[in-house]
Amino acid sequence: MESAAYTIDELIAVCIARQVNDGDMLAQGMATPLVAAGYILAQRTHAPNAYFASAVGQGVVQGWAALGIATAEDLWVGKAMTNTSFVSLVADMLPIIPVKEFFRPGQIDPAGNFNNIAIGTDLVHPRLRLPGVAGIPDVSVHSDQMCLYVPRHSRAIFVPKVDWLSGLGHHPARQHGSGPHYLISDLGEFDWANGRMRLTAYHCGATIERIQAKTGFELEIAPDVHETPPPTAEEVRLLREEIDPLGVRRLETLAGSARRDHLRHILIQEGVLDPGEMM
Amino acid sequence: MHKKRPAQNLLIPLSEAVKVVQTGHILALGGNMLYRRPVAFVRELLRLPDPPKDLTLLCFTAGYESDLLVGAGCVSRTRTCYFGLEAFGFAPMFTQAATQGTLLITDESEASLAFGIRARLAGVGFMPSSAWIGTDMFKLRPDVKMITDPYTGEELTAFPALSCDVAVIHALIADRRGNARLNKNLGIDPELANIASQVIITAEEIVDSLSTDVHIPGAMVTAVAHAPRGAWPTSCYPHYPIGGGELLRYVEMCANGQFETYRQTLDEHA
Repeated sequence: MESAAYTIDELIAVCIARQVNDGDMLAQGMATPLVAAGYILAQRTHAPNAYFASAVGQGVVQGWAALGIATAEDLWVGKAMTNTSFVSLVADMLPIIPVKEFFRPGQIDPAGNFNNIAIGTDLVHPRLRLPGVAGIPDVSVHSDQMCLYVPRHSRAIFVPKVDWLSGLGHHPARQHGSGPHYLISDLGEFDWANGRMRLTAYHCGATIERIQAKTGFELEIAPDVHETPPPTAEEVRLLREEIDPLGVRRLETLAGSARRDHLRHILIQEGVLDPGEMM
Repeated sequence: MHKKRPAQNLLIPLSEAVKVVQTGHILALGGNMLYRRPVAFVRELLRLPDPPKDLTLLCFTAGYESDLLVGAGCVSRTRTCYFGLEAFGFAPMFTQAATQGTLLITDESEASLAFGIRARLAGVGFMPSSAWIGTDMFKLRPDVKMITDPYTGEELTAFPALSCDVAVIHALIADRRGNARLNKNLGIDPELANIASQVIITAEEIVDSLSTDVHIPGAMVTAVAHAPRGAWPTSCYPHYPIGGGELLRYVEMCANGQFETYRQTLDEHA
């Protein structure tokens, strides 16, 4: 198949989709539209029998709708086959039903332990309090299908030691499951070999040297390291025209004023922001 | 516990309902993330000449409605597994207070909240779980202890029972006796109604009698108040989506240090 011009958010979504197997039960966490885009892409291509368990609506979804922000419930509630309470989802399902989930770490160490609590070891006066751990310390301790994604790869995120460990990686204290087996960033793809993070593929334009320079610890390099296969034209078309025409997924790769402008653009398209409104 | 009043008619004005919340209470706010939060109730609470202080805020996830209370100085402690505004970013007043160390944060996860609620519902002091083992959560929560499974010998986490003084839940429709219908995006609302000492329902619409598809039976409810568009700018599916423009206005004003100005204009924009 012919490859198409694509953007980095599209490549990440496609790489996420490639990790999905047909029939998987996929969990979608809070505020993770890149993951949602990847899951739906998988379901629209090679994994039509995948199911989504969503943090929005606490439902199980097999249908799909275009991604939105103001209208996110059109998908996760409107298309849900069944919904339950969050207590029931967390207590009755997540501990024993094997689900595949992509988490986004605030910090991550070479063993794949990760931190979504705070940046800085003084908890009373941290440099930054993160929004919270959600289900990370619950699922990461027993999952054997855990994946991670980092939309903006930097030495601030890939650190020798995490300030706080909320997501359990390849760690001696582990009693069940396994550490993360896959990580996708905006620079490359990684797995874990002997418990250490290892580069398996570099995205077009990213060299091994640059990826190492933006990582705060020494990376293992897979013997068959290669360039990440590009998306197909059909994958890019599905993302742009059907799954996410508003470009919600792109919010995760943008920062600062570019992100704010894009968010405003989406909200105007959704009809919940008056284009003439101030700021 | 509980609850109550002999009651055929629990309908009171919102301005009366907010007086149930007292300084020092554990206050739970229903809904989830940016969906079906009791925003009109919070707005009314902040309209009181002397709003309650020293609240412990209990939410499965906390968002805009909770950030308003933190910004207004009503909250001394939070218990939640996520305090943020999803696509709109960090919750600005929570993040500021948490980073400056002016807020006590009791870190929860989905499991500690779910099993803490299950423990209260079962009338026992804790629920065992495999969550947290090997993580730093125990450093953040020295009150959470381990227990040995008496059958297998496995070390487990013993999540303590959660309690709650007042729960406020926004419904699509409710009747005068407190029977309330939510949408399918339930959050933890059905369980919250069962563990809270007092339950206040705000509702888009009030009818004389609701007898089917009730998520919260009136037997659990202390008071009902009419609050049309009472979740906005969070959503009330399928009636209205997230008021994204208003959330942007909030985030951008807070970023410019204008929380108080925003608070003054809450009523005009509602």
